[in-house]
Amino acid sequence: MLSFITRRIAAAVGTLFLSSILVFLAVQALPGDVATQILGKDATPDAVAALREKLKLDKPAWERYVDWVGGALHGDFGTSLVSGKAVGGEVSMYLGNSALIAVITVLFAVTGSIVLGILAGLYRDRWPDHLISTVSLVGMSVPEFVVATVLVLCFSVALPWFPAVVLYGPDATVGQLLPAVWLPALALAVVMAAYIVRMARTSVIDVMATEYVTTARLKGLSTWRVVTRHALPSALLPTLHVIALNVAWLVGGVAVVENVFNYPGIGKLMLSSVQNRDLPTIQAIALISAVVYVVCNLAADLATMALNPRLRTRGRTR
Amino acid sequence: MSDIHHPGRRSVLTAGLASAAALGGSWLLTGCAGAEAAPVLPAAAAKGAPDRGGTLRIARPPASDAETLDPASSLSAYEYLGALYNRLVRIGPDGDLAPDLAESWETDAKARTWTFRLRKGVAFHNGRAFTSADAAYTLRHILDKATASPQAAVLAPLIDPAKLGTPDAHTLVVPLKTPNAEFPSLLTHYNCYVIPDGSAKSIGRTGIGTGPFKLESFAPAGPGRVTAYADHWAGRPVLDAIAFYSVADMSARSNALLAGQVDLLSQTNLDFATARVVAASDRATIARVKNAQWYVLPMLTTEKPFTDVRVRQAMKLAYDPEHVVKVALQGAGTAGWDNPVPSSDPAHITAHPKHDPEQAKYLLKQAGHEGLAMDLYTSSYDPLFTPMALAYQDSAKRAGIRIKVKTASADSYYTQIWMKKPLMATYWFTGRPVDQLFTQIFRSGSSYNETAWSDKEFDAVLDRARAEIDDTKRRELYGEAQTLVIEKGGAMTPMFADRLVGISRKVRGYAEHGFEFDYLGIGLKGA
Repeated sequence: MLSFITRRIAAAVGTLFLSSILVFLAVQALPGDVATQILGKDATPDAVAALREKLKLDKPAWERYVDWVGGALHGDFGTSLVSGKAVGGEVSMYLGNSALIAVITVLFAVTGSIVLGILAGLYRDRWPDHLISTVSLVGMSVPEFVVATVLVLCFSVALPWFPAVVLYGPDATVGQLLPAVWLPALALAVVMAAYIVRMARTSVIDVMATEYVTTARLKGLSTWRVVTRHALPSALLPTLHVIALNVAWLVGGVAVVENVFNYPGIGKLMLSSVQNRDLPTIQAIALISAVVYVVCNLAADLATMALNPRLRTRGRTR
Repeated sequence: MSDIHHPGRRSVLTAGLASAAALGGSWLLTGCAGAEAAPVLPAAAAKGAPDRGGTLRIARPPASDAETLDPASSLSAYEYLGALYNRLVRIGPDGDLAPDLAESWETDAKARTWTFRLRKGVAFHNGRAFTSADAAYTLRHILDKATASPQAAVLAPLIDPAKLGTPDAHTLVVPLKTPNAEFPSLLTHYNCYVIPDGSAKSIGRTGIGTGPFKLESFAPAGPGRVTAYADHWAGRPVLDAIAFYSVADMSARSNALLAGQVDLLSQTNLDFATARVVAASDRATIARVKNAQWYVLPMLTTEKPFTDVRVRQAMKLAYDPEHVVKVALQGAGTAGWDNPVPSSDPAHITAHPKHDPEQAKYLLKQAGHEGLAMDLYTSSYDPLFTPMALAYQDSAKRAGIRIKVKTASADSYYTQIWMKKPLMATYWFTGRPVDQLFTQIFRSGSSYNETAWSDKEFDAVLDRARAEIDDTKRRELYGEAQTLVIEKGGAMTPMFADRLVGISRKVRGYAEHGFEFDYLGIGLKGA
């Protein structure tokens, strides 16, 4: 088991190393010059050349990559080319705001969708299943910005219950942001829940068809007890991976929803950094997203192993 | 040039989001009636006097995360400038010059030395009196290389910063290197707001000016607030305060307006679908800024086949601007007929060649480009680029010109496409004085000469116009310059478009033309 964990962690580190190279290369390939983008189109050629030199854009790419990775390992992501502030501090401020949405989304989406998924599985091919499956299919197919826009039109414009956009900057307090997190969280939860619902439904159906569930039923246990004690733990296992992937998507993929709500989170920072060609910030965000992805997957793998006796003993039997 | 870019660095997502918002919106607001006729766009904002006091909330697109309050900078936060500062001269609603901090101005017989008489009893927000030293310092600050001001390119060939004269506290003397009878009009640019003597280092944060509002707070690309300056020389503004919020995404801005979170969307030309949704709302409506933007299809005169003047003429004769206005603007604007000088400008001439596809065909055949095929680049940077390109494509077909419309990424459009591809779509804000317009955008070698057009005759006419003291004769010369641009230049100007501005139904006294915004008179009713 220990060797499995070590191998799994080594793979994660390798993945991160590869992604750092890809991130660096991808950012280099962005069309448009940083210096022009920062100075605006009003810049004189002299000013652009001076800035390029100041930003060390004239140094070869590999040298800049080594500098960057070396700094990143020490938690130093350089300074923003646009604001001149430390990227690490900026990114963590925005990341904190996004985390607020992420926590609420996960609470909504995971609890809600697991309950719905189990209901659908238990009522397979009856009306609750049809309803839940259809709604989740719609949630899966509609892009999040449409969901977000419809939510704004319903709950900010038609019924003025929630703010349509956030008018505060990134240094807003949790109290200031709190009224504005519900709609983005709901929009993300709708899109995210759809996958978890379908996964949970399938696993429940699979588990309910196994022999040990039949045995438990034959023993005379109530349906409620069969489901909670025997079916649920096994049904949740395959769902874990889907949840982990979705949490990772949440951190990396909120850009669109944050843009609709003008929410000062990591997604909005990412968009404005790309538009401003703020290379250190883009690279830091991309790398952090990669870390989140890898860690979420790793956690899901390890948790699956911890919950699944067959996987846990695999190392020993071999 | 940031004037073209002032309408904001909109997100790549804008077009998609806006249309989604529009779809969702009309579906909600018409209550699923679906086939109901779209509401007609109102022609003007609500009239009537505002109540005194109140806070106006403005949503604006941030210039960049590196924004500053220094008016001379290319990254200045545009909406704050007119609230915080004054210029020496401004442009009145009739297109002529109007006094601001300078009460009057005159020149010598050769238009070589300009003398400005400055207003007395004007104080900066920090209590210091405004004098000619501040006016001279402002000009030197713009010309300072370290400022990297876009307006420096216009003023540097004219002014020697060392020779500026301040004979007394309320007189500014500006000797010019070359004669220029239109010189004061160049000071109406929004980079020319007057700042206090010696403030170069701090002005970007403090925002100390003589304007109707003083700064309370400001965060680059973030929220900020200005409050009424009771001692303003032209009287106290109607409002108590203006709150500025920066909202980068266009559909997020219109959502904020629809939800009643803001009262005015600055620098936002709403697309027609969104405009209809806004106009149908109980809270918000549309105000039009007449002919606020001019749209251009620049042909790079240094790239084949546009090196040949006959091809450029054919491209212009081939299409019907009236058709473009009808299709792309749904009538909300006027045909440009390839003349970039707006009809509101006193120097505007109405003469132009007629739409003539047969003549276009003939010219192309002569130039050896029969059945010309070209790529025309657009992007979602502005909602009218693509409709304009498609309307041109459609109209030019009759002359046998085959246009392929290509959509490029919006966020790198002005670094990768503009002034690089031979044929593309772009636009400018109107409100530029005629001499500045021609000097910046059409004169040989100017950095914003987007068609790279270089014509000795045109440059000479411009020089003669500048040196001409007689107003009537000078206007004639600017008329000649227009004729040259229309007949030989590389810019096709299909249309002038009204800007559709989203405002709250509570807003009264909204007035905007060119780069002028009435911060004194705007207010709210029942706020």
